[in-house]
Amino acid sequence: SAQKAIIRVIPFKLEPLTLEGVFASVAEVMPAEGKLLQFHPLSLCNTSEDEHTVPGFVSIVKLERPQRDLHPCLSLANKAKLAGERGAHAVLFDITDDESAADQLSKPRGLSHPVVLIWGHDAELLMGVVNNNREAHVKIEVKEMPAWPDYDVWI
Amino acid sequence: MHRNMSQICPGGCATCSEYNGCMSCKPRLFFHLERRDMKQIGVCVSSCPPGHVGQRSRERNECIKCKADCEACFNKNFCMKCKNGFYLHHGKCLENCPDWLEPNNHTMECNEIVH
Repeated sequence: SAQKAIIRVIPFKLEPLTLEGVFASVAEVMPAEGKLLQFHPLSLCNTSEDEHTVPGFVSIVKLERPQRDLHPCLSLANKAKLAGERGAHAVLFDITDDESAADQLSKPRGLSHPVVLIWGHDAELLMGVVNNNREAHVKIEVKEMPAWPDYDVWI
Repeated sequence: MHRNMSQICPGGCATCSEYNGCMSCKPRLFFHLERRDMKQIGVCVSSCPPGHVGQRSRERNECIKCKADCEACFNKNFCMKCKNGFYLHHGKCLENCPDWLEPNNHTMECNEIVH
Protein backbone atom coordinates (compact mmCIF):
# COMPACT_ATOMS: atom_id res chain seq x y z
CA SER A 1 0.00 0.00 0.00
CA ALA A 2 1.07 3.57 -0.65
CA GLN A 3 3.17 5.34 1.92
CA LYS A 4 1.17 7.71 4.09
CA ALA A 5 2.19 11.31 4.70
CA ILE A 6 1.59 13.50 7.72
CA ILE A 7 0.96 17.11 6.67
CA ARG A 8 1.42 19.66 9.41
CA VAL A 9 -0.04 23.04 8.45
CA ILE A 10 1.00 26.02 10.57
CA PRO A 11 -1.08 29.07 9.63
CA PHE A 12 0.35 32.44 10.69
CA LYS A 13 -1.16 33.33 14.12
CA LEU A 14 -3.51 30.29 14.20
CA GLU A 15 -3.54 26.78 15.64
CA PRO A 16 -1.61 24.17 13.62
CA LEU A 17 -3.50 21.48 11.75
CA THR A 18 -2.39 17.87 11.27
CA LEU A 19 -3.70 16.25 8.11
CA GLU A 20 -2.97 13.05 6.25
CA GLY A 21 -2.24 12.24 2.62
CA VAL A 22 -0.46 9.68 0.51
CA PHE A 23 2.89 9.91 -1.25
CA ALA A 24 2.55 9.45 -5.00
CA SER A 25 4.97 6.98 -6.60
CA VAL A 26 5.87 9.47 -9.33
CA ALA A 27 8.33 10.97 -6.84
CA GLU A 28 10.64 10.03 -4.00
CA VAL A 29 9.11 9.43 -0.56
CA MET A 30 10.82 12.00 1.66
CA PRO A 31 10.00 14.75 4.13
CA ALA A 32 9.86 18.37 3.03
CA GLU A 33 8.72 21.74 4.28
CA GLY A 34 8.20 25.29 3.13
CA LYS A 35 5.86 28.21 2.76
CA LEU A 36 2.46 27.10 1.42
CA LEU A 37 1.48 28.56 -1.96
CA GLN A 38 -1.60 27.67 -3.96
CA PHE A 39 -1.26 27.33 -7.71
CA HIS A 40 -4.08 27.36 -10.24
CA PRO A 41 -4.17 24.11 -12.27
CA LEU A 42 -3.58 26.15 -15.44
CA SER A 43 -0.51 27.82 -13.96
CA LEU A 44 1.57 24.69 -14.42
CA CYS A 45 1.87 25.16 -18.16
CA ASN A 46 4.93 26.28 -20.09
CA THR A 47 3.34 29.59 -21.12
CA SER A 48 2.61 30.93 -17.68
CA GLU A 49 4.93 32.07 -14.92
CA ASP A 50 4.42 33.43 -11.44
CA GLU A 51 6.57 36.38 -10.55
CA HIS A 52 5.96 36.20 -6.81
CA THR A 53 7.55 32.87 -5.98
CA VAL A 54 10.84 32.57 -4.16
CA PRO A 55 12.16 28.97 -4.34
CA GLY A 56 11.55 26.77 -1.29
CA PHE A 57 7.77 26.75 -1.15
CA VAL A 58 5.25 23.90 -0.98
CA SER A 59 2.66 24.00 -3.76
CA ILE A 60 -0.98 23.05 -3.32
CA VAL A 61 -2.99 22.53 -6.50
CA LYS A 62 -6.72 21.92 -6.31
CA LEU A 63 -7.46 19.74 -9.36
CA GLU A 64 -10.71 20.32 -11.19
CA ARG A 65 -12.96 17.69 -12.69
CA PRO A 66 -11.30 16.35 -15.88
CA GLN A 67 -14.16 17.53 -18.10
CA ARG A 68 -13.39 21.11 -17.08
CA ASP A 69 -9.95 20.98 -18.63
CA LEU A 70 -10.42 19.02 -21.85
CA HIS A 71 -7.07 20.03 -23.34
CA PRO A 72 -4.57 19.78 -20.49
CA CYS A 73 -1.37 21.57 -21.47
CA LEU A 74 0.79 18.95 -19.70
CA SER A 75 0.28 15.59 -18.00
CA LEU A 76 -0.01 15.68 -14.22
CA ALA A 77 3.39 14.03 -13.88
CA ASN A 78 4.95 16.75 -16.02
CA LYS A 79 3.08 19.43 -14.07
CA ALA A 80 4.54 17.99 -10.85
CA LYS A 81 7.99 18.02 -12.50
CA LEU A 82 7.53 21.63 -13.69
CA ALA A 83 6.52 22.74 -10.19
CA GLY A 84 9.80 21.36 -8.85
CA GLU A 85 11.75 23.09 -11.59
CA ARG A 86 10.11 26.36 -10.56
CA GLY A 87 11.29 26.02 -6.98
CA ALA A 88 8.73 23.88 -5.16
CA HIS A 89 10.15 21.72 -2.36
CA ALA A 90 7.02 19.56 -2.53
CA VAL A 91 3.72 19.43 -4.44
CA LEU A 92 0.35 18.68 -2.84
CA PHE A 93 -2.48 17.72 -5.17
CA ASP A 94 -6.08 17.92 -3.93
CA ILE A 95 -7.61 15.11 -5.95
CA THR A 96 -11.09 15.28 -4.45
CA ASP A 97 -12.60 16.16 -7.82
CA ASP A 98 -10.22 14.16 -10.01
CA GLU A 99 -9.78 10.61 -8.78
CA SER A 100 -7.98 9.67 -12.01
CA ALA A 101 -5.06 11.74 -10.74
CA ALA A 102 -3.90 8.96 -8.42
CA ASP A 103 -3.35 6.66 -11.40
CA GLN A 104 -1.68 9.36 -13.45
CA LEU A 105 0.83 9.93 -10.63
CA SER A 106 1.46 6.28 -9.80
CA LYS A 107 4.18 5.56 -12.36
CA PRO A 108 7.65 6.11 -10.86
CA ARG A 109 9.52 9.02 -12.48
CA GLY A 110 12.04 9.57 -9.71
CA LEU A 111 11.10 13.21 -9.17
CA SER A 112 13.41 14.54 -6.46
CA HIS A 113 10.72 16.49 -4.60
CA PRO A 114 7.85 14.63 -2.93
CA VAL A 115 4.34 14.63 -4.44
CA VAL A 116 1.52 14.08 -1.94
CA LEU A 117 -2.13 13.38 -2.75
CA ILE A 118 -4.83 14.65 -0.42
CA TRP A 119 -8.63 14.42 -0.69
CA GLY A 120 -11.93 14.62 1.13
CA HIS A 121 -12.17 16.30 4.54
CA ASP A 122 -8.42 16.73 4.96
CA ALA A 123 -8.23 18.49 1.60
CA GLU A 124 -11.17 20.69 2.51
CA LEU A 125 -9.45 21.74 5.74
CA LEU A 126 -6.25 22.52 3.83
CA MET A 127 -8.03 24.58 1.20
CA GLY A 128 -9.84 26.35 4.01
CA VAL A 129 -6.48 27.44 5.38
CA VAL A 130 -5.51 28.71 1.93
CA ASN A 131 -8.76 30.60 1.55
CA ASN A 132 -8.79 32.22 4.96
CA ASN A 133 -5.17 33.03 5.70
CA ARG A 134 -2.49 35.17 4.12
CA GLU A 135 0.42 32.90 5.03
CA ALA A 136 1.11 29.38 6.29
CA HIS A 137 4.03 27.01 6.67
CA VAL A 138 3.82 23.31 5.86
CA LYS A 139 5.83 20.33 7.09
CA ILE A 140 5.43 17.00 5.28
CA GLU A 141 6.56 13.94 7.21
CA VAL A 142 6.71 10.24 6.34
CA LYS A 143 4.21 8.42 8.53
CA GLU A 144 5.96 5.56 10.31
CA MET A 145 4.38 2.21 9.45
CA PRO A 146 3.42 0.21 12.59
CA ALA A 147 6.25 -2.26 13.40
CA TRP A 148 5.09 -5.97 13.47
CA PRO A 149 4.73 -7.05 17.14
CA ASP A 150 7.16 -9.83 18.26
CA TYR A 151 5.32 -13.09 18.65
CA ASP A 152 6.93 -15.98 20.46
CA VAL A 153 5.87 -18.72 18.14
CA TRP A 154 6.55 -22.28 19.20
CA ILE A 155 6.13 -25.12 16.78
CA MET B 1 -16.96 20.86 -2.17
CA HIS B 2 -17.29 21.54 -5.83
CA ARG B 3 -20.25 23.16 -7.54
CA ASN B 4 -20.64 24.18 -11.19
CA MET B 5 -20.76 27.85 -10.43
CA SER B 6 -20.81 29.25 -13.97
CA GLN B 7 -23.99 31.21 -13.19
CA ILE B 8 -22.39 33.05 -10.24
CA CYS B 9 -18.89 33.25 -11.66
CA PRO B 10 -17.03 36.53 -11.45
CA GLY B 11 -17.34 38.82 -14.46
CA GLY B 12 -16.00 37.45 -17.71
CA CYS B 13 -15.66 33.84 -16.56
CA ALA B 14 -17.25 31.12 -18.62
CA THR B 15 -16.55 28.51 -15.93
CA CYS B 16 -15.12 28.89 -12.47
CA SER B 17 -14.66 27.08 -9.18
CA GLU B 18 -14.56 28.03 -5.53
CA TYR B 19 -10.85 27.65 -4.96
CA ASN B 20 -9.34 28.33 -8.41
CA GLY B 21 -11.52 31.24 -9.57
CA CYS B 22 -11.98 31.33 -13.34
CA MET B 23 -11.17 28.18 -15.25
CA SER B 24 -12.15 29.54 -18.68
CA CYS B 25 -13.17 32.92 -20.06
CA LYS B 26 -15.96 34.24 -22.23
CA PRO B 27 -15.02 34.94 -25.88
CA ARG B 28 -12.51 37.69 -26.63
CA LEU B 29 -11.35 37.97 -22.98
CA PHE B 30 -7.87 36.98 -21.77
CA PHE B 31 -7.24 34.45 -19.00
CA HIS B 32 -4.81 35.80 -16.39
CA LEU B 33 -3.38 34.27 -13.21
CA GLU B 34 -3.39 36.63 -10.26
CA ARG B 35 -1.55 35.94 -6.99
CA ARG B 36 -3.10 37.21 -3.79
CA ASP B 37 -0.81 36.19 -0.90
CA MET B 38 -1.10 32.41 -0.59
CA LYS B 39 -3.79 32.15 -3.24
CA GLN B 40 -3.50 32.16 -7.01
CA ILE B 41 -6.73 32.57 -8.91
CA GLY B 42 -7.77 32.79 -12.53
CA VAL B 43 -9.37 36.04 -13.71
CA CYS B 44 -10.70 37.12 -17.11
CA VAL B 45 -9.66 40.53 -18.42
CA SER B 46 -10.28 42.55 -21.56
CA SER B 47 -6.68 43.79 -21.56
CA CYS B 48 -3.64 42.32 -19.87
CA PRO B 49 -1.85 44.09 -16.98
CA PRO B 50 1.51 45.90 -17.47
CA GLY B 51 4.39 43.56 -18.14
CA HIS B 52 2.09 41.10 -19.90
CA VAL B 53 0.80 40.68 -23.46
CA GLY B 54 -2.42 39.08 -24.66
CA GLN B 55 -1.90 35.98 -26.76
CA ARG B 56 -4.79 34.41 -28.65
CA SER B 57 -4.93 30.71 -29.49
CA ARG B 58 -7.54 28.05 -30.30
CA GLU B 59 -7.43 26.62 -26.78
CA ARG B 60 -7.24 29.76 -24.74
CA ASN B 61 -6.67 33.53 -24.97
CA GLU B 62 -4.24 34.29 -22.15
CA CYS B 63 -1.93 36.91 -20.73
CA ILE B 64 1.71 35.98 -21.24
CA LYS B 65 4.38 37.57 -19.11
CA CYS B 66 7.06 39.63 -20.92
CA LYS B 67 10.67 38.91 -20.04
CA ALA B 68 11.88 40.15 -16.66
CA ASP B 69 13.71 43.18 -18.11
CA CYS B 70 10.83 44.21 -20.36
CA GLU B 71 7.96 46.54 -19.44
CA ALA B 72 5.88 46.15 -22.59
CA CYS B 73 6.26 43.53 -25.26
CA PHE B 74 4.78 42.56 -28.58
CA ASN B 75 5.26 38.93 -27.67
CA LYS B 76 7.36 37.04 -25.16
CA ASN B 77 10.50 37.45 -27.25
CA PHE B 78 10.07 40.93 -28.69
CA CYS B 79 10.16 43.84 -26.27
CA MET B 80 8.79 47.29 -27.15
CA LYS B 81 9.78 49.16 -23.95
CA CYS B 82 12.48 48.07 -21.53
CA LYS B 83 12.49 48.55 -17.80
CA ASN B 84 14.60 51.31 -16.26
CA GLY B 85 18.34 50.86 -16.83
CA PHE B 86 18.03 48.81 -20.03
CA TYR B 87 18.49 49.87 -23.66
CA LEU B 88 16.14 48.59 -26.34
CA HIS B 89 17.72 47.12 -29.45
CA HIS B 90 15.91 44.98 -32.01
CA GLY B 91 13.30 43.88 -29.45
CA LYS B 92 15.88 42.96 -26.84
CA CYS B 93 16.75 44.74 -23.59
CA LEU B 94 20.47 45.26 -23.08
CA GLU B 95 22.38 46.61 -20.08
CA ASN B 96 24.89 48.15 -22.50
CA CYS B 97 24.71 48.92 -26.22
CA PRO B 98 27.05 47.00 -28.57
CA ASP B 99 30.30 48.83 -29.47
CA TRP B 100 29.12 49.73 -32.97
CA LEU B 101 26.04 51.49 -31.62
CA GLU B 102 25.52 54.61 -29.52
CA PRO B 103 23.33 54.62 -26.37
CA ASN B 104 20.57 57.23 -26.45
CA ASN B 105 19.86 58.02 -22.81
CA HIS B 106 16.76 59.98 -23.75
CA THR B 107 14.92 57.27 -25.65
CA MET B 108 16.88 54.49 -23.93
CA GLU B 109 17.65 52.91 -27.30
CA CYS B 110 20.85 51.95 -29.13
CA ASN B 111 21.30 54.12 -32.20
CA GLU B 112 23.55 53.96 -35.28
CA ILE B 113 26.70 56.04 -34.79
CA VAL B 114 26.46 59.15 -37.04
CA HIS B 115 29.87 60.04 -38.52
